Amino acid sequence: MLSFFAKRIALALSQMLAISVIAFSLLYLSADGIARAILGEQATEAQVAAKTVELGLDRPLHVRYFEWLTSALTGDLGRSYFTPQDVIDALLTRLPVTLSLLIATTIVAAIIAFGLGIAAAVYRGWLDRVVQVLSVLGYAIPGFLVALFLVVVFAINLKLLPATGFIPLTTDPAGWLRTMILPIAALSLGAIAATAQQVRGAMIDVLRADYVRTLRSRGLSEREIIFKHVLRNASSTGVTVLGLQFVGLLGGAIVVEQIFALPGLGTVAIQYTSRGDIPVVMGLVLLTALIVATVNLLVDLAVGLLNPKARIS
Amino acid sequence: MSKYTRFLAAAAAGALALSLAACSSGTTPPPTSDTATAPLLTLGQFVEPASFDPATAQEGNAFPYYQAVYDALIKRAPDGSLEPFLATEWTYNDDLTELTLTLRDDVTFTDGTAFDADAAVANIEHFRTAGGPQTNQASAIESVSAPDKTTLVISLTEPDPALEYSLASSLGLMGSPDALGSEDIASTPVGSGPYTLDNAIVGSEYTFVRNDDYWGDALPYDSVKFLLLTDETARINALRSGQINAGIFTVPTSVAELEASNFEVLSQTLDWTGFVYFDRDGVLNPALADPRVREAITISIDKEGLLESVGQGRGELSNQIFPSTALSYNAELDSDSRFDYDPERARELLAEAGYAEGFTLNMPIGPVFPPALYTTVEQNLADVGITMTRTEFGPGQLIPALLGGKHEITYMTLAMFNDWTTIRQYVDADAAWNPFGTTDPALSALIDQFQVAASDDERTEIGQQINKYLVDNSWFGVFSQSLAAYATDGSVDVELQVQQAVPSIYNYTPAN
Repeated sequence: MLSFFAKRIALALSQMLAISVIAFSLLYLSADGIARAILGEQATEAQVAAKTVELGLDRPLHVRYFEWLTSALTGDLGRSYFTPQDVIDALLTRLPVTLSLLIATTIVAAIIAFGLGIAAAVYRGWLDRVVQVLSVLGYAIPGFLVALFLVVVFAINLKLLPATGFIPLTTDPAGWLRTMILPIAALSLGAIAATAQQVRGAMIDVLRADYVRTLRSRGLSEREIIFKHVLRNASSTGVTVLGLQFVGLLGGAIVVEQIFALPGLGTVAIQYTSRGDIPVVMGLVLLTALIVATVNLLVDLAVGLLNPKARIS
Repeated sequence: MSKYTRFLAAAAAGALALSLAACSSGTTPPPTSDTATAPLLTLGQFVEPASFDPATAQEGNAFPYYQAVYDALIKRAPDGSLEPFLATEWTYNDDLTELTLTLRDDVTFTDGTAFDADAAVANIEHFRTAGGPQTNQASAIESVSAPDKTTLVISLTEPDPALEYSLASSLGLMGSPDALGSEDIASTPVGSGPYTLDNAIVGSEYTFVRNDDYWGDALPYDSVKFLLLTDETARINALRSGQINAGIFTVPTSVAELEASNFEVLSQTLDWTGFVYFDRDGVLNPALADPRVREAITISIDKEGLLESVGQGRGELSNQIFPSTALSYNAELDSDSRFDYDPERARELLAEAGYAEGFTLNMPIGPVFPPALYTTVEQNLADVGITMTRTEFGPGQLIPALLGGKHEITYMTLAMFNDWTTIRQYVDADAAWNPFGTTDPALSALIDQFQVAASDDERTEIGQQINKYLVDNSWFGVFSQSLAAYATDGSVDVELQVQQAVPSIYNYTPAN
């Protein structure tokens, strides 16, 4: 088990290093006029030239990369070009917002998706068909459309929930819930759809297996069979898909955060990228890579626990 | 029901009950109508201040953030006229190179420091070296001095007709001199303004509370909150659900939606839209050196069609870059049919100039404008024989490239200013938007005369000649002047601020 994870961690680290090289090159090679963008339209060419030197932008790319890398390893990702914040601060103040959204969405999606998938697989018949249709719909309808619909109905017309804004969980749990219900509902739909289908498919396969027939003939109750034996074997697919969905949610969160004005990483992605705030964008790329790597590790751990066969690879 | 589904139902019911029980109305409380003050004004914005250092204050959308905590030397009334503020009166010397201001003696900053002429000097000198976006407002200043506690003397290297405007803008913002040097001022403003910054969540919201020791007339709202809503849809939803009392809306289609929901939408002309012909000397593209060619390009574009489709009809066709509030503005220029859409005449002009076979024009493309716009322009140009090639830019890259003098032309929407600022920004040889430094002896002479003109009458006369020159020689290909929208929810009365994207913070009162 230990070497399993040691190898996974080493892989994740080398992935992040490669990502940082590629991102750094792409961002800085195509960036002209950073100094001009910072100083604004009214600055003179002389001021722009001075700023370029001050930011070190006249030096070769690989020199700047190694400088960035060495300070990143000590925990200093530099300063934002456009706000007086350190990159780490700019990202860490916003990370909890996005994480609380993503984790809550994943939990909600997991509960509902597993519930629907199990029910569909066990009961079959009309319930199964309904779940399948809902899955296709949930997959096809874009998240932002759902979000806008929810806002119009619940925030504008019924005035039950706020249209925008975020209250931290630590400040006021009830307020956090109120500001999060609509974003979670909008974001979870696609994830539920995909995961429910996977769970249903895996459950049906396992329920057909010989050893299940044997368990039944031994007299175990259906409930015991499903929850003690089948689910454990069927869920590794579901957990893997959920992990993939989490990563996809990172992208969906950008749109949802914009619509609900949540001050999370999604809004950083849009605001700071369109301004060309490269240090923050680099930090964001790295943070996203870290999150994805962590999620993949956790999924591997979960699958490894659920299914001993997976630990060998 | 199975144990599992029962649990799920209970959890869902619990969550719903919790949310509804904890739910307050979530709306901004409407101010009471029979008291002079109201508790809270919530405004929706899409920009936030990069730093609270007054020397880095941006005009336009971000300015109210600074107005809340800092006062300026001069105040611009909603109609653009100048009023006393921290300075009670001011006069120029005879050759307009020295402005002497008399300052108030009863103002204290929130850290206890007194405001006096020495503080003003410290602020202006800090402004000149801080490298903020409005640094050019101080470009003509040679030195500042404080002969006594209530007298400030600004000495100029050359006359600056926009100086008083600048002193009502970023240049004139006064912060406590003790705070100016420190790093803290970026996040903790120390001024003499009607409010103090109570809480700031960067990227989300800024809350200001009343400064009880304010020297001036108290503003009606005890507290002002800015919600940062960068997405236009989020801002509309916030207004519609009662989370903000007022906000700015920049997308043309928003206005129809807001009016349909019975919100009051106030409009004023703010920007001009059209072509900037950077390469008037024909350095990159010899064809553009001929004013007939530039005129042909201008009249080859169906500007009315563009205004209707891209601009949703929110604007007026125009031929000049000066706003109607400027002295140089001349309504007759707008009704000059010479610049009406006329592809036939465009072809004639091109033939006259020796380009009957057409030529190639390179257009820089940015993500701010819809792609359909560039397709229409390309089509219009092709109809008169001009082939448009494209250079694509990503976000934030277009303007630096344009100002760097690498392109012959651009389509752009640009802010309109008072006469002198317009000339300094767009027209004269070292204007930011004149990267090739094109100039002409007749025009330079007019600009010099404007600079030293002693009265508004003189300035009007010369300014209109400058305007006429620019229009006659097709320095720009102006299509329209567009309307900007500001919407309120009816609980607030607001006066728009002339030539400023959003109303000044002084312009809001509770509605009756």
